[in-house]
Amino acid sequence: MEKIDLSALGMSEEELFSHVDHSKAESEKITAPRYSYWHSVFRVFFHNKVNIVVLALLGIVLLLAYVYPAFVDFDRYANVMDGTAKHLSPAAAMKAYGVNIHTILGLGGNGESTWDSIWFGSRISISLAFVCAAINMTVGVLVGAIWGFSKRVDMFMTEVYNIIGNVPYILIISVMIMLFTSSFWTMVFALTITGWLFIAYFIRTQVIIIRDREYNLASKCLGTSTIKIAMKNILPFMTSVIVTQLATEIPSYISYEVFLAYIGMGMGEMSLGRLIYAAEGAMVTPGWEFEFWSPVAIASIITVVLYVVGQNLGDASDPRTHM
Amino acid sequence: MGKYVLRRLLHGLISVICVVVLVMFLIYSLMNREKIFASDSAYTKQNNNSKVTYQYQKWEEYGYLDYVPYSEYLDGLVSSGALDSQTRDAVASIGRTPDKDSEATAQYVQQFTEFYESQGYTVDRLDAITSRSGKLVSGGQQTLFAHRDFPLLRRAWNYFVDMFFIDSVNYVPEETDIGERGITFTWYDPVYGGEKFSPAIIGNGTYHRYLLYFDDQFPYIHQNLLTIRLGTSYSVNRGVDVFQTMTQSQGAYVLSTLTFPTGLTEESADDLHTATYMSGSRDMNTLNRQRFTDDYTNVETFKTGMSKMGYSFVIGIISTIMAYVLGLPVGLAMALRKNKLLDKLGTIYIVFIIAVPSLAYIFLFKAIGGSVFGLPTMFSTDSASKLMYVLPIVSLALPSVASLMKWMRRYMIDQMNSDYVKFARSGGLSEGEIFSKHIMKNAIIPIVQGIPASILFALTGAIITERVYVVPGVGNQLTDAINKYDNGVIVGVTLFYAVLSVVSLILGDVLMATVDPRISFSTKDR
Repeated sequence: MEKIDLSALGMSEEELFSHVDHSKAESEKITAPRYSYWHSVFRVFFHNKVNIVVLALLGIVLLLAYVYPAFVDFDRYANVMDGTAKHLSPAAAMKAYGVNIHTILGLGGNGESTWDSIWFGSRISISLAFVCAAINMTVGVLVGAIWGFSKRVDMFMTEVYNIIGNVPYILIISVMIMLFTSSFWTMVFALTITGWLFIAYFIRTQVIIIRDREYNLASKCLGTSTIKIAMKNILPFMTSVIVTQLATEIPSYISYEVFLAYIGMGMGEMSLGRLIYAAEGAMVTPGWEFEFWSPVAIASIITVVLYVVGQNLGDASDPRTHM
Repeated sequence: MGKYVLRRLLHGLISVICVVVLVMFLIYSLMNREKIFASDSAYTKQNNNSKVTYQYQKWEEYGYLDYVPYSEYLDGLVSSGALDSQTRDAVASIGRTPDKDSEATAQYVQQFTEFYESQGYTVDRLDAITSRSGKLVSGGQQTLFAHRDFPLLRRAWNYFVDMFFIDSVNYVPEETDIGERGITFTWYDPVYGGEKFSPAIIGNGTYHRYLLYFDDQFPYIHQNLLTIRLGTSYSVNRGVDVFQTMTQSQGAYVLSTLTFPTGLTEESADDLHTATYMSGSRDMNTLNRQRFTDDYTNVETFKTGMSKMGYSFVIGIISTIMAYVLGLPVGLAMALRKNKLLDKLGTIYIVFIIAVPSLAYIFLFKAIGGSVFGLPTMFSTDSASKLMYVLPIVSLALPSVASLMKWMRRYMIDQMNSDYVKFARSGGLSEGEIFSKHIMKNAIIPIVQGIPASILFALTGAIITERVYVVPGVGNQLTDAINKYDNGVIVGVTLFYAVLSVVSLILGDVLMATVDPRISFSTKDR
């Protein structure tokens, strides 16, 4: 056995050898490793190297969509009078206007930079997705929790769900767009006016599954209040479900916006969906392909990145993965 | 079980009615009705008073309100015998302003106003608009009319009452002389020359000429006694019922030698079995006079293509079958090789399909299919090539394959980790036995529930796929109707969707209960 040089530890005699009293209170304490929920979530999340890459990609996308437009003076119709600047492929654009960031994807039908219009469009689409998801998730989770808990509310809400769920979503959206102008906030209103109902229904099912578990029954028998059961017993279970749901929601709004724009019911602003809709004819025209495929590719990258980050965050926020 | 299904059906019926009322509220009450004139060039050419009356006429045609001009009221009085036509002519023209009416006119205007106001109508009188010289300006003619919005519940009630049309010999108005009314049965259908054996029921006085007949088109026996009317189109397909639009065949005419009731033999695509009554149509048209002996002249035609619903259903059902045939085994294999290469590749595919906008991958497959495989990217009803079906079917199957893979894998893994599997293993069952007799049976139950829905919803078509490949299907009917404010079609299509969704949910539960004996819906069995 190796000898330890006590003087090298740099501790006083008292520190090294002191008398400890027997404490009854202390012995009752359960010793377990320190556990912090969010700390563990991030530990598990960053353990997977793929997540770091995807998160970096998400950072770049957000930077380009939100910070880049602030430094660029972009006018869609600045070159509209210039006949030679229309529908240029990247190679032709670089030849005519020099190699810079604006010409990297060529010029569009109005002589505007495709690269710039994509990021201005992305900002609108991503904002729409975030705002809609925030509203729908907040309302949906709150209503869903009450819906799942109360049997009386359940009866009523299920009927409401059966009726509103059968009204075509497109119809509701188009009526809203016709009622107001087709602006960004109308779109938000149209997507959220009934959108929360589907999330609430999903949360309601999850609450019902957990609500009647034995441990909650036991907790209730011991006299725990309903609010405490909801906050301490059920909510931790739901966190991963909610995050996973959020992960599918955000990209789905971007996809839905693209879909609506394609069938001619989009908003007035040049979002990604509108860009794709406007450039549809360019897909089959030789030399114009970049105008169509660039917004499609960017929309796909944004949705995939958001989805993967969300899914993996959802996995990481499940306490069962923290072992 | 029967009782339960009946109760569910009743519940479903109520929610379908609520859906229709809600949709009617959305389109007739909430939507701004001025918008229908946004792209109407005739409207912009109208001025002053005639612009107002034009608006009301259009709104009546679109089904918003009931509009009665003063002259229509007088015509009604004449045909009921309360007024003779000389007096009508005398009182029909109203003065430029109310105080310039003649005494007799004023009396009838008063009568008109009182009659319609007592029924809840609003009576409007627009005075003549004249220029300084006293001449009428363009569209400045004075006018008098009554109008009333249809109350929501009355509108819904009328809609459901009119939905099932039962043909009867009293369809043609009583005062019309069409010979002896009645229904006759014959063994030898006159359409085939009266010699070929083919039973048919023929009506006179009914809306349809042929109430029951046989022909060589699927399903070979046809009836016209009961017709379903989902709502009449106004702007998309004028005057035609939604249900008919969905089921009518399209494409080029199929000509054959046909003998018309007058004995005229001609190359024609007309389907004489579909003849319906159209008042006065024989006298008005020389062609009809040469062909028909009575007013049953309105016929459909034989065409080469399928109906809108036919195309959508063929594409939808094949892609559904493909999705189950491909998705379930792949999902199974992924679960069995969890975290191996196949599982990872499958997961990448699932993420791609779920996250990427459907528009993006449909266009991607269109581009790949067109350039790499040389498949036709445009659908054409005239083309006999079956290859044009390939890309729409593949595009439609892609997302269903992904979701089936995802759920099959999830359910399989959940079952594989459950206690009964460990118990079976400890009991000495072979892995194959556990797999096929225990895990599979349990994992497939939630999948089975979705089968009726995926089959029935093949009938509704797909919006993007049909648009991208120009398929003449039903998928775009709703969006087209919304864009053109075709209110009758919107209500009809919504009703159709709602019924499908209710029925498919019930069928799904019934199917699930048959597959899994543990599930019971009758409260007594518990």
